[in-house]
Amino acid sequence: MFVTDIRKEFYDVVINQRVALLVATDIDALCACKVLQALFHCDQVQYTLVPVTGWQDLGTAFLEHKEQFRYFVLLNCGANVDLLEMLQPDDDSIFFICDTHRPVDVVNVYNDSQIKLLIKQDDDLGVPSYDDIFRDEDEEADDSGNESDGGSEPAGKRKRYDEGAVERRIERQRAKREWEARRREILFDYEQYEYHGTSASLVIFELAWVLTKDNKDMLWWAVIGLTDQWVHDKITHMKYVTDIATMQRHVSRHNHRNEDEDNSLSIDCMRISFEYDLRLTLYQHWSLFESICNSTYTSCNFKLWSLNGQKKLQEFLADMGLPLKQVRQKFHSMDMVIKENLREVIEESSNKYGMKDIRIQTFGVHFGFKNRFLASDVVHAAAALLESTEKDESAGDHSDHLSNLERLHLGIDLAKKKLIAIQQTVASCICTNLILSQGPFLYCYLMEGTPDVRLFSKPMALTLLCKYLLKAFVSSTRNKRCKLLPLVMAAPLDVEKGTVIVLGIPPDSDTSDKKNFFGRAFEKAAESTSSRSLHDHFDTSIIELKMEDRTKFLDALITLLS
Amino acid sequence: MDPTEVEFLAEKEIVKIIPNFSLDKIYLIGGDLGPFNPGLPVQVPVWLALNLKQRQKCRILPPQWMDVDKLEEVREMERKEDSFTPPPSPYYMELTKLLLNHASDNIPKADEIRTLVKDIWDTRIAKLRLSADSFISQQEAHAKLDNLTLMEINTTRSFLLGSLNCMFKLRSNMQPGTSTGKGPDY
Repeated sequence: MFVTDIRKEFYDVVINQRVALLVATDIDALCACKVLQALFHCDQVQYTLVPVTGWQDLGTAFLEHKEQFRYFVLLNCGANVDLLEMLQPDDDSIFFICDTHRPVDVVNVYNDSQIKLLIKQDDDLGVPSYDDIFRDEDEEADDSGNESDGGSEPAGKRKRYDEGAVERRIERQRAKREWEARRREILFDYEQYEYHGTSASLVIFELAWVLTKDNKDMLWWAVIGLTDQWVHDKITHMKYVTDIATMQRHVSRHNHRNEDEDNSLSIDCMRISFEYDLRLTLYQHWSLFESICNSTYTSCNFKLWSLNGQKKLQEFLADMGLPLKQVRQKFHSMDMVIKENLREVIEESSNKYGMKDIRIQTFGVHFGFKNRFLASDVVHAAAALLESTEKDESAGDHSDHLSNLERLHLGIDLAKKKLIAIQQTVASCICTNLILSQGPFLYCYLMEGTPDVRLFSKPMALTLLCKYLLKAFVSSTRNKRCKLLPLVMAAPLDVEKGTVIVLGIPPDSDTSDKKNFFGRAFEKAAESTSSRSLHDHFDTSIIELKMEDRTKFLDALITLLS
Repeated sequence: MDPTEVEFLAEKEIVKIIPNFSLDKIYLIGGDLGPFNPGLPVQVPVWLALNLKQRQKCRILPPQWMDVDKLEEVREMERKEDSFTPPPSPYYMELTKLLLNHASDNIPKADEIRTLVKDIWDTRIAKLRLSADSFISQQEAHAKLDNLTLMEINTTRSFLLGSLNCMFKLRSNMQPGTSTGKGPDY
């Protein structure tokens, strides 16, 4: 059931209890977890934090902890499957689910006792009404009751009675079949497309706000959670702008609370500011040139994998009057004269080159004289750290990625390498025509020998690559039909076990609503070909598959979708 | 003594806070505290103030002496005098550090205060070094210094005592047999 008063029904309930926090491994969940942890620290609530990477992980974690805990809080996992059936909990376990995955499973919505959804009821849900899906089973008992009653009557009367009863029974069965068919249709429509709702960190931040325990750190984490949804393309632009407006109100409230003409704040305090900044990834921690080359938006618009594109880029830079030497330097060391009007200059020139949306509304933070970060910088750094394939990574300490400055800088370096790898892979895929049209969708397979292919065995990195590749393909192809197709991408996951990771994304368009139907499609295709697949990720559009089953899986998918 | 021990002792000082919760009077071994009412200032020891601040349950008011003008005056006086002037508070250094690290958003002009306190500290430590130097060079038997805080004493204590012991050993070794050491050379 949906929780209406998050403070009374969630926070006041868990405040005196021990809670198990099960957190999915994506940035939004991490941010929501940090806000919730800060709240728990303030009120000295005992909790156990368990990061979970998939459904199996969730199951094992639950089994381990179900003896000791009655209350479970799930962040960014668990809303889109029938949780009670999957976990088989005892009757007194209560689950609080704060998840962005939609559609929310109908059992989770209509269960009144054990499942509480920390989701606003109007969050774009469209849940079918109760009567359409669930039906009391009393009518069955009536039928058989009538029949046995009819048995005690004398024979003649019974015959007539029976006929009436039989007719009614046939009528009821027909109605029931109709109802079931409608139910199947409604459920199919409801569960067909997978998409994302309001970010979990925003919901938990609003809880903190209602408790008036919110502070700037929590606000910053909420901003990062929201930006993560935008960077990984999980929500529509409209929703992003609306949520940014909400956050902007909170930011102004915090800024006005402390700043005063006479009593200005210490420079070491964290300050969050609203920025209408450039859509160039990590440009303040890199050189402007590198950033332009490796950002999706600019790279796809200029088509930087071709020689023509490179020339256009040089023209663009010359048009703005930026000398090449300056542009290739680290951003911090660029001339102050150039840096002052950089945003306006770039916006003007990019309008000429057809890039109307080079600026995006976002937030930046700075503390001390040296440290300035944009929200998207932190998202990229944290994602790179979470999914790092380097050997010296310690697995457990994820919460450190957001607050520790050293780790943040390390993350930014890793993110730069990741972006360069993505750019090069995209360039090679486009130039060697690795993307094939399979009819209802486009398909691309990364061979094992591709450089940096280990990076792309992780879901978030592969998603970024996929989106980038689709945008690049759409801008480079002349085939009008291909521009509207979704993309399925496969990359080797584990060479010894012989598995690949397969990912599907919806078609790329400015007005797309980011609804992804590949989750169900993958399930059905895997079933029909009995391929050995693992649907373990919380995002159902990402699965693991055995390499040998790849071709028959694809054929099944093609037939399914055409 | 460890600097952390000195800081621990400093946490017993009283500071004013404005809580945002309500609680009846609490009876602790060290004394009674409270009652706490939201919006009304109450005096508590620094350790409790910091704990409450970290749990976002209060706002700390800066102590009377933690004001830019007052500290500037103290600094000027300190620079003029040769002897030690009375410090703003017997634990001014520790309190500055604790309050500015944890509650700098409640203290106006925190950066300037930090600089001023550091200036005062530097001046006093320089005077302490000069005084120790003259004590040794004139081979005095005892010295009296007023208005030193525990933190400043603690800074020189181990070194001064250790080196005095060393010098005593050196002097007594250089003149074996005589009870009064007269030689000025060391």
